Amino acid sequence: MDRTLGEFVTVLRKIGVEVSAAETIDAANTMDLIGYDDRRVLKMSLAMVLSKTEDERALFDDCFERFFSFYKFSDGHGEEGEIEEGGHSAQVGDPQPAEGEGGPAGGSGGGGMGQESEGGEGSTALRDLLLNRDQTALSMAMAQAARAVGVNQIVLFTQRGMYTRRIVEEMGLDAFDQEISELRRQDEEDAEAAALLRRLEAARRFLFEEVRDFVEENIALHANAVGKEFRREFLKKAKLTNIERRHFDDMRVLVRKMSKRLNAMYSRRRKVSKRGQLDVRRTLRGGLATDGVLFDTHWKSVKVDRPKVFVICDVSGSVAAVARFLLMFLYSLSETLPKVRSFAFSGQMGEISDLMELLTLEEAIPLVLEQYGGMPTDYGRSLMDFRDLAINDIDNRATVIILGDARSNYGDPRADILRDVYRRARQVIWLNPEGKSLWTTGDAEMASFAPYCTHAFVCNSLATLERVISKMLRAAM
Amino acid sequence: MKDATREKVGSIEVIEQGFEQAGYICDTNIATAIYLACHLRKPILVEGPPGVGKTELAISASAYLNLPLVRLQCYEGLDESKALYEWKYGKQLLYTQILKEKLGDLLEGAVGLEQSIERLHQFGDSFFSEEFLDARPLLRALREQNGAVLLIDEVDKSDQEFEAFLLEVLSDYQITIPEIGTVGGDVPPLVVLTSNATREMGDALRRRCLHLYIPFPEAERERRIVQIRVPDISEKLRHQLVSFIQNLRSLDLKKLPAVSETIDWARTLLLMHADQLDPEMVRTTLNVILKFQDDVERVETEVRSMVRSAREGC
Repeated sequence: MDRTLGEFVTVLRKIGVEVSAAETIDAANTMDLIGYDDRRVLKMSLAMVLSKTEDERALFDDCFERFFSFYKFSDGHGEEGEIEEGGHSAQVGDPQPAEGEGGPAGGSGGGGMGQESEGGEGSTALRDLLLNRDQTALSMAMAQAARAVGVNQIVLFTQRGMYTRRIVEEMGLDAFDQEISELRRQDEEDAEAAALLRRLEAARRFLFEEVRDFVEENIALHANAVGKEFRREFLKKAKLTNIERRHFDDMRVLVRKMSKRLNAMYSRRRKVSKRGQLDVRRTLRGGLATDGVLFDTHWKSVKVDRPKVFVICDVSGSVAAVARFLLMFLYSLSETLPKVRSFAFSGQMGEISDLMELLTLEEAIPLVLEQYGGMPTDYGRSLMDFRDLAINDIDNRATVIILGDARSNYGDPRADILRDVYRRARQVIWLNPEGKSLWTTGDAEMASFAPYCTHAFVCNSLATLERVISKMLRAAM
Repeated sequence: MKDATREKVGSIEVIEQGFEQAGYICDTNIATAIYLACHLRKPILVEGPPGVGKTELAISASAYLNLPLVRLQCYEGLDESKALYEWKYGKQLLYTQILKEKLGDLLEGAVGLEQSIERLHQFGDSFFSEEFLDARPLLRALREQNGAVLLIDEVDKSDQEFEAFLLEVLSDYQITIPEIGTVGGDVPPLVVLTSNATREMGDALRRRCLHLYIPFPEAERERRIVQIRVPDISEKLRHQLVSFIQNLRSLDLKKLPAVSETIDWARTLLLMHADQLDPEMVRTTLNVILKFQDDVERVETEVRSMVRSAREGC
């Protein structure tokens, strides 16, 4: 398969367009079919084969333009007027520079280096290309050199210098430099040689500048994508309490991705109910197995089974950071969980469902923290409030999620209320951001709550959060 | 692919022109999709706002390629017995009743259950043969010997199970019926799936399809569409009408007018013998292009200025 295509697909995957192997094969077939003649049509065709949603299409378009933008050597080179002239006059395709003086001098220079094997030839080639300003050939040479040194492996910005150097060397810098130093040695006596030296030095600077630009573009293409991926992988596993504010944007993207997957997995679970209209067709068909006797009845009505979810979040200092992400998660699952009722407490409890639904998450969470946070945590009082607010709505379809460290400042935890909740609900899940070893230390009341929880988990990173929610959905269906 | 068909999809330009003759103005993007679909034998998943001609694309393709159109409209609860095949139970029952005596003759003299069954076996499974098979759209499309255009409309409305079931059909273009065997034509059908994004389609399905997004057309293409669909309309009115609609789409409306509404409106205006837009007439016919009262009320106040700018634009 085409190596360019392979590299392109790798870049696409890095920026988040998920391309499967089968699609890559399709893309290769498409390229065979369409050919490279018409860039616009090729782009369209590849887009259809490789990007499968609108979002991916936007990413694809951007990536295609950058990946297939053939790096062009710029032709402007202001100050060095003489080179400019040389470049323009040498367009006839003559391998030697057109000016009378430059030609022979250069020729002798090259001849002097004749004993050097390929390096010498490379030098002459590079030198000619530079002096002739043959942009296309230069770009080609650079692209080849770049591939040889593997510029697409670049990861960090600091590698820029190294890769620039490697590419230039691959293009035949050594011999080129040797020629320059040789010219330097002859120096002074020969005005022509001095002129050539100046031109060559300028050309060398020009070459470096161009290659550095090229490498920088490659950083933008390859390294940024990797960096982002790397950061997100890290954020998934990092402790939620340690995540800094500047990463919140990334976190939101992550949460959205995760919740999309959960939505897809659980949103359309249906249950065939045992009543309703008789499905004649399926019943008759089922009857075939029993010799036409309609033994198994099938019914038409299907119920979408969606759990009711009650979330209770401790919003006192240490737990608040986790609460933010739990709420973010649950409210992005609206397809699967259309009815989430949420409560927040530290000293006392209040319902925050309305706030969460009406406002965006960014607006709602500070408000919640302001309203309910800041007081010393009192589990007894808060659970009493919960009993008053919602216990009558809890039935066997309800899942109750409690997020908290169970540190009640030595007050009565009122575990008996949790027992009532536990008896009514389908499941009670306790998420504790503290490690298990801390659950029974100090004022932690986890020991008295734990018997009344269907599950109790440690929950301190996005990855655990996702696992817990996935588990909850599976159990609730 | 038959030679005639092959010729018709020989290049992207040919397709573009051919579709225009069939009454469908497609841009290069759409033509490329058809071209790829025919040559790579892949289904096309068409997405886009309602009314931009997703379904029409399949209908025009069938007209242009001169292949039969088989349409499968998806909805919640669609299952394989409605999409693929079903046995004609009634007919089977009826026949067994009628043939009861024949069966009696046949079994005459047979001793014991084993012998009777032996005799029945000699006659094969005639009750589960093509005679009693009720072919549904998918099977019909696969059985067409010269190929067909299979339109699976609004696939997002179907259940996830059905989507999974489609995967086999779409990748192999064949179906296995346990009682009969594997069915698959020599020429696979051209499959067009349309979706309105009621729900996210699964990745597995997307991966098997070419993805084509049809947005609202730009003014130039929309004018050509109106021209080909409502040829009697005057050129001046056509320009004004299209620029009015294009303008309308930049507003914040509940439902933006689609191409089908533009065509309806053009027909309406033609019927009213209009030769150019005037605010009064636009106001009375707004309900042709806007389908929500909120939208109508919102636009009504701006009709005068919008008509003016539409007239000036031409």
